[in-house]
Amino acid sequence: MSEHRWRVAAAAYALGALSAEEASGFEAHLEGCAACRAEVQAFREVAGLLAEGAPAALPAPGLRERVLREARRVRPLVPRGGPLVPWLAAAAALLLAVGLGWGYLRARGDRDALRVQLAQAGDSMAQQQQVIATVLAPDVTTAALASKGQPPSARLFWNPARNRVVISVFHLPPAPAGRTYQLWAIARGKAPVSVGIFNTTSDGRLVAAMAVPPGLVFQVTAVTEEPAGGSPQPTQSPFLVGQVQRTE
Amino acid sequence: MSVGLIPQGVMAIQPGGTPALDRALVMRMAVGDERALGELYDRHGSMAYALAHAVVGERADAEEVVADAFGQAWRTAATFDPARGRVAAWLSAITRTRALDLVRARGRRARVLARAAILDDGGLAATVAPAAEAPDRRAERGEARHLVARALAELPEPQRRVIELAYFGGLSQTEIAAELQEPLGTVKTRMRTALEKLRTALSPLLSEGAS
Repeated sequence: MSEHRWRVAAAAYALGALSAEEASGFEAHLEGCAACRAEVQAFREVAGLLAEGAPAALPAPGLRERVLREARRVRPLVPRGGPLVPWLAAAAALLLAVGLGWGYLRARGDRDALRVQLAQAGDSMAQQQQVIATVLAPDVTTAALASKGQPPSARLFWNPARNRVVISVFHLPPAPAGRTYQLWAIARGKAPVSVGIFNTTSDGRLVAAMAVPPGLVFQVTAVTEEPAGGSPQPTQSPFLVGQVQRTE
Repeated sequence: MSVGLIPQGVMAIQPGGTPALDRALVMRMAVGDERALGELYDRHGSMAYALAHAVVGERADAEEVVADAFGQAWRTAATFDPARGRVAAWLSAITRTRALDLVRARGRRARVLARAAILDDGGLAATVAPAAEAPDRRAERGEARHLVARALAELPEPQRRVIELAYFGGLSQTEIAAELQEPLGTVKTRMRTALEKLRTALSPLLSEGAS
């Protein structure tokens, strides 16, 4: 009986038609019920198509410019210390795959991680290459961050044209309560500049995109463990350090 | 002029081709590529606007909703999870939420109900896609509109009404039961049955595994 009740609830939940109380009850049930989660996802896709059932209405031609104008006022949110971003993980899998050919990947652990990530990346290689060719310019530089050849390790991809880095971390347990990891960019002879804070998931991994201060040029990148919220300057020696590989 | 209307030589011919293109656009947005946002608008702006207009009922508010929705998509592109569905579904969910928020903020429930009623008057039968969209997307969307309109039209009227009140009107099952003066259990069953039927009818448009 209760099973039937939840099956009926999945449709309403996907349409956002449960009361707040029912919705929280259903969400608690969803935690442990893969079948209902799949149901909800399928119904959400159906609900998403209902938008196509709206009576035809044409937007004014100026709306496109308004959308772009308003977007120009804000930058996209960069996930910092949040959960692993799924499509970034897929992108990282491709980065790593491409990197394989370029000789970036040597450690066995990285190859194992690559297999896992590739398995998770559902799309064809061709599609991924299209995506990645877009995300990464030819002048992207990389850094392999290591600690004396032992885990953990990390890889940094830096796109100077977009002032953006993607960091992929392996075999690093989540920071203790009240602590966080912090990524630094270090220019020769200058103080480290904070790029952002992050934390790994329970499987010791993270893929995150972060913004780099415009115009910043650096030769070394490092990771330290800091108090939650990060520090203006490192408070300990970095446990991961890597040199940026210039391609020219 | 049937479901198979797709021009030659466009990506829409490849199954999954346009969802992959959408995902690439969202990915570019996440790294700050404004042109990708423009392309996403070219592909889905008309859908978002029609949806917003159906919910809020007037042009200025609908435009505000669309601008807000694409702004939110721009800011949160990095959180888009392809495992949870298509980009178009993500975008329409954002747009619908924004539109319903605006309606609620202005205390416009009555208008919402009026709009939902208007949808009964053949508005859903329109299958002509607006000319402002990219040609491949226009054909694809024409097909989607056709299938969705037909699937909705084939629902028994009481079932269609429940879906419209929930989706375009943002009403909960309890509110729908009160509105239609029907028992809550009846509304719940109708909603489930209707969505099941739509799921079957729209399976050609759904991603693998969801159909």
